[in-house]
Parts: sequence; C-alpha cells; structure tokens
Amino acid sequence: MEAFLQSLQVWLKTTALGHLMNESRWAWPISESFHFIGVSLLFGIVGLYDLRLIGFLKRIPMSALHRLIPFGVAGYLINLLSGLTFITGAMDQYVHNPAFHMKILFMTGAGINVALFYTLTYKSVRDIGAGVEAPLQARIAGAVSLVCWTGVIVCGRYLTFFRPPARWCFWC
Amino acid sequence: MDWQALFTSVEANGLSVWMRESSSLLAFPTVIALHAIGMGFLVGASVAMDLRVLGFAPRIPMRALEMLFPNMVFGFVVNAASGILLLLAYPTKAMTNPVFYAKLLLITGALAVAAAMRKRIINDASRENDEPRERAEESSTRRDRMLAYSSLAMWAAAIVAGRFLAYTYKYLTAYELGMK
Repeated sequence: MEAFLQSLQVWLKTTALGHLMNESRWAWPISESFHFIGVSLLFGIVGLYDLRLIGFLKRIPMSALHRLIPFGVAGYLINLLSGLTFITGAMDQYVHNPAFHMKILFMTGAGINVALFYTLTYKSVRDIGAGVEAPLQARIAGAVSLVCWTGVIVCGRYLTFFRPPARWCFWC
Repeated sequence: MDWQALFTSVEANGLSVWMRESSSLLAFPTVIALHAIGMGFLVGASVAMDLRVLGFAPRIPMRALEMLFPNMVFGFVVNAASGILLLLAYPTKAMTNPVFYAKLLLITGALAVAAAMRKRIINDASRENDEPRERAEESSTRRDRMLAYSSLAMWAAAIVAGRFLAYTYKYLTAYELGMK
C-alpha cells in the first residue's frame, strides 16, 4: 500500500497539472483562492439553509431558500476540483496528514447526512413556507450538517500544522 | 514615525508572542480557522442577498432578507476579533503589505454596498407588503443589480486578497525591517 501511494504521488507530480502546481509561482495561491471562494459559497449558502432547518431565520420560506442550494453545490464542486489540484501537486502532504484524514471524515459525515436528508426527510420540508418549523429529523440534519462543515473548515485550516512528519498520528 | 520601534513593541507583547509562537492548536491555528468560519457566515449571507436581488430564488420575499443581517454581523464580529488577533501576531507582515490595505478597502466597500442594498431594496418603504414577486425583473432595477454584482465581485476580490497575503509579504517581523 505504501509503495502504491508512493508511486502514485510521484506519478502525479509528473503530470502537467503536477508540474503547474509545483513550478508556477501563482498556481497554488490561485487554486487556494478558488478553494476559499468555494468555502464561502458552500458554507455560506448551505449553512444558511441549515440554520433555517434548525429554526433560525424563520421569515425566509424554506422552500424558496432551497433554490439557492445549487450555488452551495457549485461551491462544493469548485472545492473538489481545487482540492484535487493540491493533491496532484503534493499528495505526500495530505496522505499522511491526520488533519486531512479528519477533514475527509467530516466530509464523509456531511455526505452521508446529505444523502439521508434527501432520501428520508426532504419531502417533509420541501414545501415549508415562512414562519413554520421543520420536523425534528430535519432539524437534526441541519445541525449535523453545520457541525460537519465547520469541522471540514477547521481541519482544512489545521492542515499546515499537521504536515508530515506528523505532529501526532497514531493511526498513520 | 518609527514604525520599526512600534512594530517591535507590538510583537513583544505577550498576546502577540503567544499567537505567534505557541505550539498550542488554540493559538494561531484556531484563530485562523475562526477567521474562515466568520468569512463563511459573512460572505455567505451577503452572497445569498445578492443572488436574490439578481433574481434567483424569487419566492424569497425581499423583506425577509433583513434576517440575513444578524448573520453578517456575527460573521463580521468573529472576523474582526480574529483579524485583530492575527494582526497582533504579525503587525509588520500585514502593515507593510499593500495587499492588506486592498483587502480592508474591499471589505469596507462590500459592507457599504450591503448597507446600501439594505436601505434601497430590502427596506424599501414603497413596498406595501412583502409578497413574493413572481418575476425578479419587476423587483430589481438595473441599479440594484449593479449593487449586487459589485458586492459579489468585491467579496471575491477580498477573499483573493486575503489568500495572497501569505504570498506577497516582504517582512515577517519587525526585526527584518531593520535589515537593509
């Protein structure tokens, strides 16, 4: 496994993208800038919807607010793509980075939460207007979502402080 | 004005030293994480407002957008506080970097636009009620849309400026100012 990761990492750096990320002076900062804009879109828009699910911002109709979610998804996609540029450029900085592992864990949690929400709960909140509270299931989904994405942001910011050789990583 | 002396004394302050040199996760790492979270709240609420004015999610009543302002205030307060701590940790690095001033200017501009939008659009006294409009074009004039676009542009530029701070500074600490 270790050998596979090592050769994958080496190969990625030989790709055009890998070269760009490592040799161009501004490629990394530009990609990071997209990453942060994506964070603002994702956490901002989805966070607003989560707050509405929990019960804040009641004057905004839940059904109408949901129309903005595609922008949050756009933020997620921007971040997925920019994140891939980082991994292509310096996979070794992430693969053995416990903060990155935690970040992926939180992202998985958010993903499972989203899947559960849309399959089980969304029908009951789809048409909710202003002033109405969501059922408990939806409120929990909103809270879990907020916690998970906050965790993603915090772990993302912690990445540089847990760079290999790992600060601590008992599972590495 | 002896900037080097000023920066040196700020950087010698206990809180500044703690922020910069503590190995605790609660120092620099957490403060900068809070800065990102505040950014999410502040920019997110502003972007939601801009998108509504531009015609997305048209069934959100304009008046309801007023509810987004406490979110913006929360995000702003978190970022002002974390920002001050970050500035305290590296005053030389920030204040000798023109990009830092550009960032502050852009943020001020974006907030001014948000205030203007609040006055012009959300609290428009000529609105008799806050029934949702079916067609966004009826509720936003061209000027309103320009405000929304400039808000989006300024937040994007502020975020880019913030990220570029780490790549464009000339001096990390006041000690380097003395090195010619």
